[in-house]
Amino acid sequence: MSRKTMVGGATIVTALALWYLATSVTQMISPGRFPSPADTWDAFRQITGAGYANGLLLDHVLRSVMLVSFGFLVAVCTGVPLGLWMGWSRRAEALINPVFLIIRPIPPLAWIPLAILWLGLGDAAKILVIWFAAFVPSVINAYTGVRNLDRTLVEAARMLGTPLLTFVREVLLPGASPMIFTGLRLSLQASWTTLVAAELVGAMTGLGRVLNAAQQDLYPGMILVGMIAVTLCGWLMTAALGMAERRALSWNIATQARD
Amino acid sequence: MGEIRFDDVGRIYGDRNGGFEALKGVNLAIADKEFMAVVGPSGCGKTTCLRFVAGFDRPTSGTVSVDGVRVASPGPDRAVVFQQFALMPWKTVRENIELGLRNKRLPRPERAERIERILALMNLTAYADAFPHQLSGGMQQRVSIARAYVLDPEVLLMDEPFGALDAQTRVVMQEELVRLARRNPRTVMFITHAVEEAVYLADRVAIMARQPGRVKEIVDIRTIREAERWDDHEKIEDVMDLESFVHLRTQIWRSLREEKAMEIA
Repeated sequence: MSRKTMVGGATIVTALALWYLATSVTQMISPGRFPSPADTWDAFRQITGAGYANGLLLDHVLRSVMLVSFGFLVAVCTGVPLGLWMGWSRRAEALINPVFLIIRPIPPLAWIPLAILWLGLGDAAKILVIWFAAFVPSVINAYTGVRNLDRTLVEAARMLGTPLLTFVREVLLPGASPMIFTGLRLSLQASWTTLVAAELVGAMTGLGRVLNAAQQDLYPGMILVGMIAVTLCGWLMTAALGMAERRALSWNIATQARD
Repeated sequence: MGEIRFDDVGRIYGDRNGGFEALKGVNLAIADKEFMAVVGPSGCGKTTCLRFVAGFDRPTSGTVSVDGVRVASPGPDRAVVFQQFALMPWKTVRENIELGLRNKRLPRPERAERIERILALMNLTAYADAFPHQLSGGMQQRVSIARAYVLDPEVLLMDEPFGALDAQTRVVMQEELVRLARRNPRTVMFITHAVEEAVYLADRVAIMARQPGRVKEIVDIRTIREAERWDDHEKIEDVMDLESFVHLRTQIWRSLREEKAMEIA
């Protein structure tokens, strides 16, 4: 184990100990404001056993993960090609950029009322809002990735007589992929943020629904369980994306290590 | 066939009234299978001239043609070796070399055979599945030359290909290029600012001047090289010791220095 992990582990253990001291032992923080470790454990037992807010923890997690994944994928599958196209074609950039510049500063969460008005409280509205949130970083980073592509590589590809489809697949996409992955990471974060917010506004199941119900029930233990579950889900999905990135960009990591 | 012609070629940057005239009245003819080195001070537009032939850039006046056809766009009949190698870092050596052959839609067995041959010729067989970042600069430039040669192009365009290499590697690469070029002659346009390199490699050396960029003088090397049998010497330093070599080198240096003197004056 490296020194860094040991220090990190020690910090976490200390924080947990402080939490225990401040709540259960000294009662410095009242249980109505922040739950003790025991309260949190009880809430965890309840939601995994009997269920809470229309479902077991697993149901909520699956629902949220499914919506995030779907919204994220839709955003990536539309955003990345658009960004690549805008980066490559001056005409596409001139055409799309003005619209993009107007829409971009709108906070994704501000779309929620409109999305609910259009599509109701179901999944479609949530996916739409996630799409709005995750779309922008995908586009911008794919666009930047193409713009930062080494010009001589493009010239080399043209000199070799590379047809358009091969060029996109074997030069443009891999060349822009370090930036594309940066965009995907930001998109994924945005997807989670937006989903929780959208579920807070209205949902039958989902982690945001758990948080909302626990707040209305004045149930701090359950709020904390919900928060931890959201964090873990987001962290796991980010880690999975990181693994995909390391696989796809092994050449890039090694190139940078050499420089 | 692969004859390159520059006819009264000019290039102006910026607008036509107050623009900067980078090239003016460039005339140059490189014969089929001739190795032409182009030397000149930096900023004389020698790389721009090469980019015209490659089709990356266009002159604002005059014509650049290959075999009588005006150059319109880049293509594998005019292979380029870049100073910074320009290999795809996400492709292995073999994949980098193969891309041009795949674009030509050559059948797989023929591709494989051609690649094996060029890998062997360039001493790259052991590195076929390595990525560019795993290779030294000299090895990377070998891959870049292999990628160009494997296309069997009419014209080979080399833009200071050894400029980014250290001195020892450069010498080895120069010797290898001489062997390759004499065994498998192609029309070569070779940009450099190293006079020795130009004299050692080329059949003729074009000397360019600047402000505006133009071809000032063309020096014939081949007649003397063949008369004095330079190619009997295997090592570059033996050739560079020959009186005839020194004489030509000095002649070109003088011509370049006159340019410098005029600049200062």
